[in-house]
Amino acid sequence: MSEVQANGLTEAETKGRALDLRSLDNPKAMKLYRRFDGIIILVLFMFLVLGVQIQFTLTAGDWDYWIDWRDRRWWPLVAPFSLLLFIAPFTYGIWYRVRLPILATAITTLLCLVSWLSRYLNFYEFTHFPLSFTFPSTYIGLGILLDCALAISRSLIVSTVIGGGLFGALVYPINWSFMAPYKVPVEFNGMLMSVADLMGYQYIRTTTPEYLRIIEESTLRTFGGSVTPLTAVFAGLCGIVIYALFLWVGSWVNGLDKFTKRII
Amino acid sequence: MAQENTQSIALDGSTDSKVAGHFKRNRFAYMFGAIVIAAGTAIRIYLDTMGFSVGTDYYSEEFQKYWMPVLYGEIIFLSSFTVILSTYLWMTRETDASSISKELELQRYWKLLGIFTVMGIWAGCVASNAVESDAAWHQVTIRDTDFTPTHIVIFYFALPFLTAMLIPAFIWTHTRIPAYMNKISLPFLAVVCGILMIMPNYGFNEWGHTFFYAEELFAAPIHWGFVFLGWSLFFLVPLAMQLIGNMARLIAEATDEEAGQSA
Repeated sequence: MSEVQANGLTEAETKGRALDLRSLDNPKAMKLYRRFDGIIILVLFMFLVLGVQIQFTLTAGDWDYWIDWRDRRWWPLVAPFSLLLFIAPFTYGIWYRVRLPILATAITTLLCLVSWLSRYLNFYEFTHFPLSFTFPSTYIGLGILLDCALAISRSLIVSTVIGGGLFGALVYPINWSFMAPYKVPVEFNGMLMSVADLMGYQYIRTTTPEYLRIIEESTLRTFGGSVTPLTAVFAGLCGIVIYALFLWVGSWVNGLDKFTKRII
Repeated sequence: MAQENTQSIALDGSTDSKVAGHFKRNRFAYMFGAIVIAAGTAIRIYLDTMGFSVGTDYYSEEFQKYWMPVLYGEIIFLSSFTVILSTYLWMTRETDASSISKELELQRYWKLLGIFTVMGIWAGCVASNAVESDAAWHQVTIRDTDFTPTHIVIFYFALPFLTAMLIPAFIWTHTRIPAYMNKISLPFLAVVCGILMIMPNYGFNEWGHTFFYAEELFAAPIHWGFVFLGWSLFFLVPLAMQLIGNMARLIAEATDEEAGQSA
């Protein structure tokens, strides 16, 4: 057993720290550190691409594939819920270990890139849907807000309440400029509908029955135009809760940075 | 003398020209990476060409001729690849961690990063090509059959190939790198198990598919098993931190010794 010194470190740990500090003045060591950082970032980002694609497409994909699915009640709720759940554990790990508030921006940007590539290859080239009908939504602005909340407050609790809340609440406004042309009312066969709905009628898909069951269900319309802001408030609440819950999952996962005994 | 050569390659490859040295150090990642990209491109072109023309009905002769051999080939290739490579790596394992020099250990960490780079490239290919191809397929086909081209590509090649690379990488790491020998890295094990368990989860997915004549909803609960198992990627951060800690110290020691020798 190494003897503990006055500063609370063992002799070996003190020597290790001195070695680490010396390496910062060594150009060869710094060159290797930079190469090493580059590879780790590349690998982590590539796996993040796969992870977020699986997570998002299998929990909120339908709302993101089709412009007519981006409704006022489910899409602004499901999309941030799915994303925050994936972002939180990575944010916790990277913030806790290296104090970098970048994961939300990185994950939303990676999702944007891979979604565009995937929609082009799979929905446009493979199954011949128009890109104007299947282009992905953007969540990059939400990721920046979440990271800024963490960077400015330096507190996971504050960033959960402010950043998580804003992430949930602002899905609709941040995509509004892309969606506005599709919300223009048109008359078709004597019925009033949006351009997005008209495109949905023209491109019958196997999700069409689900579209009729899920999107804009109910007929009372007692809330009129308030549906979108009310959904935003509820999505903000869900964002705070799910982000907090999965930050806790992140703390548990990052606590498992351990080795166990070999079985064979 | 042999140790000096090893050290120079582990640190900066100074014995070679810049380009040749760079390729030599990273040849595993470049060559294997190029092979997996070529394999991914080939199977993607095959899916685009033969998916709708001969792939919509499992009971048709065309499907049996053009798609079932692909499925059998994938199963044979991936099983052989995993079993043979894993067995070889286990049988040729190091038994004495103390005989591995710091330079060799550092060299092996670079190789491990090369292996992870190749897996990362494949993960990117799967994310951009495979995952949503199934979503798009099921939106335009009006009936589901026992096997479909997109399932043959995703479930029997794309995701299992990731597992086929992860298992040997796990064995290689735990039998070649001293910090990992005679113990098991929990985050690495969690990543491998999570991705591996996606394959048994096909049972849940296919069982769910028997209820539908078509996909209808891609965010359906029958797909949530994949999501849950995908959460095993959360363990990449603690795994990366293990690697960063070990490699940073090794680089500091190796460069410090070299600076000491030259002074």
